[in-house]
Amino acid sequence: MKKLSLIFAASLLVSPLALADVVVIGHSAGPDSITDNQVRDLYLNRSKQLPDGQKAIPFEMSGGDPVRAQFHDKVTGRNAAQLKAFWSKQVFTGRGQPPAELSSAAAMKARVSSTPGSIGYIDEADVDSSVKVILKP
Amino acid sequence: MKQLLHLAPLALAIAANSASAQSTDDTLARMQEQLNSMQQQLNAAKDDRVRFNGFFSTGIARASNDAGYAGITEETNVADLSLMALQGTFDVTEKTQAVLQLVGRGADDWDPEIEWAYLSHRPTNDLQLRAGKMRVPIFMYSDSLEVGYAQPWARPPQSVYGPIAITSYVGADASYNFNFDSSSLTATAFTGFTDEDGNSGDVELRNIGGLNLTWTDYVWTVRGVAATAEASIDATKLGELAPVPVNSVLADGSRGNFYGIGASYDDGKWQIISEVTRVEVGGKFPDTDSAYLSIGHRFGSWTPYVVAGWIESKDEGERKGAFISGLVPESILNYQRQEYSVGTRWDITPGVAIKADVTHARGLDKGYGNLNTVYMLSDNTTSTNVYTLKIDSAF
Repeated sequence: MKKLSLIFAASLLVSPLALADVVVIGHSAGPDSITDNQVRDLYLNRSKQLPDGQKAIPFEMSGGDPVRAQFHDKVTGRNAAQLKAFWSKQVFTGRGQPPAELSSAAAMKARVSSTPGSIGYIDEADVDSSVKVILKP
Repeated sequence: MKQLLHLAPLALAIAANSASAQSTDDTLARMQEQLNSMQQQLNAAKDDRVRFNGFFSTGIARASNDAGYAGITEETNVADLSLMALQGTFDVTEKTQAVLQLVGRGADDWDPEIEWAYLSHRPTNDLQLRAGKMRVPIFMYSDSLEVGYAQPWARPPQSVYGPIAITSYVGADASYNFNFDSSSLTATAFTGFTDEDGNSGDVELRNIGGLNLTWTDYVWTVRGVAATAEASIDATKLGELAPVPVNSVLADGSRGNFYGIGASYDDGKWQIISEVTRVEVGGKFPDTDSAYLSIGHRFGSWTPYVVAGWIESKDEGERKGAFISGLVPESILNYQRQEYSVGTRWDITPGVAIKADVTHARGLDKGYGNLNTVYMLSDNTTSTNVYTLKIDSAF
């Protein structure tokens, strides 16, 4: 029985199919918490600063990723097509560029843990000691 | 080398799951992912300082007659709506960027033209200074005038966007952003000059000065703009149509003013946009008042819309003479028109939208504005229908 539950817990950690909730992560030297609205503003080009005043560098999961869809559903309220239209307007009016996109939770953690001022999001099940969770939206 | 540390918990995971072959497969997949991300990091390091974006449009448009609304006649022409643009953003320093936008249009035999070439500097988070060639920022959609993908319509409402054909100027602007709790106000002052081909001929604007205020809470947007310039307008295109030489100068260094108020509402479902503008130019060039109201609603990937627009010239008293002596009165320059559009945008996939539009223009009582003058004089046309099918993309 004990062995079974261990396997269950371990497979939860490993399996990408076990979609838990999305969490917002930050660089270890960044702020310890952030509000939903502050995260929304960073991902919709309304703000370029973290709550502690340092320049924010947001990262996105690549298009089509289920965690990306979950994040935007909860935080910005925009679907993939609306986001694309929003960013093309920002880009072609010279107001800014969309966040860099990463293809996996591992890549997201690697970039966030190595980039001061960075902010990203991953599935809660992928959290490890390299990054810190600053918001559960 | 941090990656090696990431692999340590994986090794533990392998140990904990040795009983399960399924988990071993998962672990291998995860290690593969780690390798991919290391590769991606290597790739990402080199392309951060230069970014390329582009947009593309193509489509067909056809009108019920040769009235020439938005330049469209009975003859279907694919090339007329086609354009392709490439934009490069180069980081000079962390606070300074150079931006270049090249646009090639089918109607101009795809000759690439530089629409943007400017240097932008952000001394602080809220202040942006730009100098170079930029869009004249007088309309809500001026900055994305040709980026069909960023617009809800098949084309911007011609009642407001039609009379002013100049699109770019050379100069400088300064924008300051005031951020409030859940809204922001952007104030932009701009100055410069331009010399371009307008609807009817050569348009030169000197000593442009303008101020633009935009407030938004990200659902509502309210915008006001006022601009002034010394305008010289020579309707050479109209003059060429005359069998005898005519004086086609409509404004010669006279004061030209532009005022505009715009508002939009976008809650993710409803998309409502309206602009009201006034153009005043000393001389024979028509002073016009114009407005439109556009209402759209998103149903999944479909966004149908309706638009009503209106334009009317206000200074007929300045055009009582003859444009061509004994043949054509100056009143051909007068404007009056109502236009109604019904259309839809269909987002087939992020980055590509198809649009279909039917526009009906009528009420040409005072004059033909910038419609096809020769046809309008020779025919008793009182209205025109324009059908448009268009693909817009951004990448």
